[in-house]
Formats: sequence, C-alpha cells, structure tokens
Amino acid sequence: MTTDDVDALLVERAKRGDTRAFEMLVVKYQRRIERLIARMVRDVDLVQDIAQESFIRAYRAMPQFRGDSAFYTWLYRIAVNTAKKALVDLKRDPLVTESARAGANDDEDETSRVERELTDGETPEAVLASKEIAQTVNAAIEALSEDLRQAITLREIEGLSYEEIAELMNCPIGTVRSRIFRAREAIAQRLRPLLDTRDGTRW
Amino acid sequence: MVNRSEPPSAARSSLSSLMDGDLAPSAAAEACSAWRQDGDARASWHAYHLIGDVLRSDDLAVSPVHDVAFLQALRQRLSDEPVPLAPAPWVQAPLPQAEVRVAHAVGARRRGAGWLVAPAAVAAGFVAVAGVLVVTRSGAPDVGASSAPIAQAASSTAVPDALVRDAGLDRYLAAHRSLASGAVAAGAAEQRMHIVFEAK
Repeated sequence: MTTDDVDALLVERAKRGDTRAFEMLVVKYQRRIERLIARMVRDVDLVQDIAQESFIRAYRAMPQFRGDSAFYTWLYRIAVNTAKKALVDLKRDPLVTESARAGANDDEDETSRVERELTDGETPEAVLASKEIAQTVNAAIEALSEDLRQAITLREIEGLSYEEIAELMNCPIGTVRSRIFRAREAIAQRLRPLLDTRDGTRW
Repeated sequence: MVNRSEPPSAARSSLSSLMDGDLAPSAAAEACSAWRQDGDARASWHAYHLIGDVLRSDDLAVSPVHDVAFLQALRQRLSDEPVPLAPAPWVQAPLPQAEVRVAHAVGARRRGAGWLVAPAAVAAGFVAVAGVLVVTRSGAPDVGASSAPIAQAASSTAVPDALVRDAGLDRYLAAHRSLASGAVAAGAAEQRMHIVFEAK
C-alpha cells in the first residue's frame, strides 16, 4: 500500500459519508493547498476563504471522484479553479484591491518556493510562529540518533517506502516502522509547547 | 535524543504507519475511529503531517493555531452541507448455471415458428421490469459521528436492503446486465445464456 492508497481508503470512507475521514485528508493537505492559493492570491484572508471553499467543493464533488488521478492532484485542480474564479469575481467587484489581485499570473507550479515576505493580512506574529515551528523541527531532527534521523529523512524527504528503507538500512521492516514512529514522536514532543494552542482550542 | 518517558501509544503508532501506507486497508477504519474518539490521535495526525511538510519545505511551517482554526471553520461549514453519499460499487451476482428463460405470455403461442430472438423485445421487457423495481444496493455507509443531513437525492441508495427482493428476478437482472455489457462473451463458456420468448 502506498500513501496514494491511504488517500484512496480515506476517500472511499468520505464518499460513503464519513466526514471524519474527509477531515483527516483536510489536515493532511490544508497547508499545501493554502500555499498553492497564496501564490495566486496575496490577501491572506482571501487565501483562507478560497482554501475553505476549495475543500467544500471537493467535499461536494467527492462522489464524482473516480480515482483516475491521485486525490491531491484532483484537489489541486479544484483549488486552482476556485482561486481563478475568485479572482475573476474580484475583478468584477468594485471593492477589489490591487493587492488581492496581485499574483494572479504567478506560476502555478506548486513545487516553487513562496516568497517569505509578508502578504497582506499576514501578521508578524504568524510569521514568527511559522519560523519557530521550522526551527524547532530542524533542531529536533539534528538531535535525533543517526538511525532515527536517517529513517525519517528517507521516508519524508526521499519518499521511500518502508521496504526500500529496510533494504537501504539493512534492517527489518518492523525496525523501520519503529524508527520512523519514534522519530516522529521525538520531534512532536519538542513541538508540543508550540502545538498546544494558546486559546485552548483542541483538535 | 529520543525521550522515551512516554510509552508510545499503539494508536499513534498505527497512525504513523498508516500515513506511510504501511498498514492493511482495515487500518483506515481504525484510524478514522481513533480520529473520531481521541483528541490525542487527532493532534498526532496533525503533528506527524506537519513534521513531514516542514521537512520537505519550511514554507509549510504553519502555526497550529491557524490549522485548528481552519479545521473548525471548515467543520462549521461542513455541518451545513448534505453528506454526499456515493453509491457502493455494484457487486455482480454470479450467473446462474441454469439457463435463463424469459416467458412472454402475451398473444398467441407460436412455437411452430421457432424461437424468436429479439434483442429489442428483451430491452423493452427489461425496461418494463426495471420500471417497477427499485434496486437497492448493499453496504450502508458508516456515517460515524456525523449528524449532517443526508442528501435527499442520494438517500435512497443508502437504505440497506430495506426492500424485499426476489432472488429469481435478481438473477435475471444480473444476467441482463452481463448481456448488455458484453460480459457474457468474455465470461465463462459454461455460463451460456438462452433468452427465450414464449409467445402465443
């Protein structure tokens, strides 16, 4: 089973009305979708609105998703179309702001990096929090033992399967599974002070 | 180094394996169940994916406050949405070994003229039968904790075998579907079918 297969399993459940399975997909892809939309629309409030609308449209269209492409590819198209429609609507709207329209012709290649300058509506606190998250994850990776760091790096950055990692690291698959889980737990532990939301809201 | 003061939870371990595609398909159901019932599992699912995202790109380092707020706002909107229910895949019934005989008892019996094979008549007969038959599909969805209203248009497909079905008619319909899709030609030779009209 691949990660695409995992998506397919969650999609199948969502198609049968399990909204929790859909939420799991949202949590998985929300950051990538927002980054994609942020390349097209620079107003941070609009980015969130369009991302929300994209997921709602995906939810409504879920019964029509046949799995011909990966779920993220399908979701990506929905997000791009939703953003384009929002931009067209903005051009018709007399209250449209130039800043909100800027970036409409940006490259849609989702692998390109986003400029880390402040977009409209993005607060310095939010930027600081993002940097803190990134620094904490990178510091936690450095603090891992060599085995754990190698296992999670091969998985998350190189995208290798457990079988491939087991072959590379010359160990059983069960060991790979354990190392990756322990690495995630160790990093999550370091992140916990940052992950606990200040206003007490819970997942 | 790894802090082992907290024993790894089996549920979190399963989530970790699931997101890497290392568990059996049944694990998705368990993961959804954990997501539904366990706030710790939800936080871990988020944290593990956030870690992966940040490892691939610092651009994806987003405050969890934002992520929680995003999901809560989306939940609010989803609660106003009808649940889009996709019908379960059609599971074709096995073809009967016996021949399928369709007796058409209208008009004079004309056995002497031989068997009349009329595909158009078969189709017309099927339409007449299908017109009075509601085919239900098995596999009621596990809607979990969702309390959202069910889409009216889709709800009829979600009723689990609420209607009494006739086994003979099911076999006929299955045979007809196979015939219509050309599956008979590709199917086993021993499952040969004879569509027979008995007309006066």
